[in-house]
Amino acid sequence: MGASRSTKLALYAYAALVVAFLYLPLVSVGFASISRARYLTFPIKKYATKWYGSAFASETVMDLLVVSLRIALIVAAVSMTVGFFGALAFARYNWRYRSLFQKVILLPIFFPQAVLGLALLIWFNALGVIPDWKTAVVAHLVWIAPIATLIIAIRAYSFDPALEEAASDMGASTWQILREITIPLLMPGIISAGLFAFLLSWGNFPLSLFTTGADSTLPEWLYAKVVSGYTPLVPTVGVLTVAGSLLLIGIAFAVFHVFKFASSRSA
Amino acid sequence: MAATTILKLDGLSKNFGAFQALRNICLEIIEGEFLTIVGPSGSGKTTLIRLLVGMDQPTEGEIRLRGTRIESTPANKRPTCMVFQSLALFPHRTVGQNIEFPLKIRGEPPARRKERACELLELLRLPLEYYGKRIAQCSGGEQQRVALARALAFDPEILFFDEPLSALDYRLRKALEKELKDLHERTGKTFVYITHSLEEAMVMSDRIAIMNAGRFEQIATADQIYARPVSKFVAEFMGEVNLFDISGTDRRGIGSGSLGSKDNLDLGLAGDEVGTLMVRPEFVRRVEGKGSSDFWVRGQLRAEYLLGSRLHYEFDCDDGTTLTVEKLREDRFRCAPGDEFLLGWDLANSHVIRSRG
Repeated sequence: MGASRSTKLALYAYAALVVAFLYLPLVSVGFASISRARYLTFPIKKYATKWYGSAFASETVMDLLVVSLRIALIVAAVSMTVGFFGALAFARYNWRYRSLFQKVILLPIFFPQAVLGLALLIWFNALGVIPDWKTAVVAHLVWIAPIATLIIAIRAYSFDPALEEAASDMGASTWQILREITIPLLMPGIISAGLFAFLLSWGNFPLSLFTTGADSTLPEWLYAKVVSGYTPLVPTVGVLTVAGSLLLIGIAFAVFHVFKFASSRSA
Repeated sequence: MAATTILKLDGLSKNFGAFQALRNICLEIIEGEFLTIVGPSGSGKTTLIRLLVGMDQPTEGEIRLRGTRIESTPANKRPTCMVFQSLALFPHRTVGQNIEFPLKIRGEPPARRKERACELLELLRLPLEYYGKRIAQCSGGEQQRVALARALAFDPEILFFDEPLSALDYRLRKALEKELKDLHERTGKTFVYITHSLEEAMVMSDRIAIMNAGRFEQIATADQIYARPVSKFVAEFMGEVNLFDISGTDRRGIGSGSLGSKDNLDLGLAGDEVGTLMVRPEFVRRVEGKGSSDFWVRGQLRAEYLLGSRLHYEFDCDDGTTLTVEKLREDRFRCAPGDEFLLGWDLANSHVIRSRG
């Protein structure tokens, strides 16, 4: 069944429009970041890269970067670990409360993040914890760890339990099975989960807004500056944020390429 | 060589809730033998092998390996090893790494591991360049050999097999059956194999244990099981068979009366003892008149099927039952459907199954 020439053309045009609609705004932020003007205006009259220099020189921007990065890295690391064990409980083992666990663990994903953030803020207050970047880590984890669990669980579902049994049958201890079989086989899932966790935390706004206290992350700062006190640094920092995400994805692809985990199972 | 028992199962039972998967299993496995456990699906053979390798614990009963109780020893502490139905080769490891896995677990130095892996590749007739291949690059038959090599690298006291050939095509399966039997002879290890395929069992095994509904029906050589089954289940499981319900006094077939027999035959049934007369289809021949064979029955040919080297006939008997007959191609009956035949066979080629209980 082959589509006619005109149908194909229409489909390509449609796809191009969708892509343009998705990415044009991002590109325009990029252009805005290299505008000389002090205000956000279009079309851009004169170009300059001086705001990048100011961004890197700005202590505020560096602080924001450090806070955002620190939160995202910790969230990614914890999500990978918690998600790994969670996924085993979710997908690999049959236990009494498994079905209940599967539902409870996914619940936070379905809460609107603003509500979740507010609830956590009230909770931290009740516990007498003063919110700062550490409480934001906890808040992000409540929402992101379930997602990481789900991503790893998908991988865990596709893995033959006989592999672990065979390893045990050949004398491997629980720890040896984990190290030799389970972790390497789930590694693609674990890396994807870490990647998602990092990106979701790095770009998160609603949860951070409620729970960072006196600290501030990049998305929070962007919002605050757009609402009151626009500076030309806003699009620049925006571009830097996106660049950070892209860099991470690039590294992840490189890692995948180097390890090239066999996705095809022996059968 | 005196037969030593390597593994002894005594009163083994396994329940899953109210369901009894295994009931009072008793078996002595002899060192160096090739024992096959055969049964239809759901007969409990997979449950049994999981108990034998230590992946499950019995509800009741003992397993003794050379006299030592092991039923509650976990799989990783037992000196036995299993080739899984799925083979369970590690997809993220090479052929060499797979074979070396048990040696690595044991902490053997890499040089020794590699040496042993190469020896095993040779034993299983796999080229040495397979050492660095990925599992996904190997064909089904090659993967089978890698799984065997890995199990042998473990150097188990007993090697268990959970239907590892069932996923292969017919020709490859036939070739590997013979290879496995040959490997058994060359290694001298005890092989315990489970399958639902009787053909597989007959080609390879020294002894066959027939399982049904969580119990052993019969444990004997292939020949004994084929010629002298202890129950109707075994008789019917072991290929085509003709069965007639008889008693010590009534040899004409209880309730049917279609079976004719000589008067002075000793069927080993006392008085009104009930039993089943069994005759395999290849022993039934065309006879000229009543009395020229020990048993006879009149039948009308319904159908003739060509099985290659043999022909399979189905006859309708007077009482509505079917009699099956098989002949080699050279002994083919000259007949057409609808022809009436007198068919007979001798006591020497029959077997009487006594009804239990």
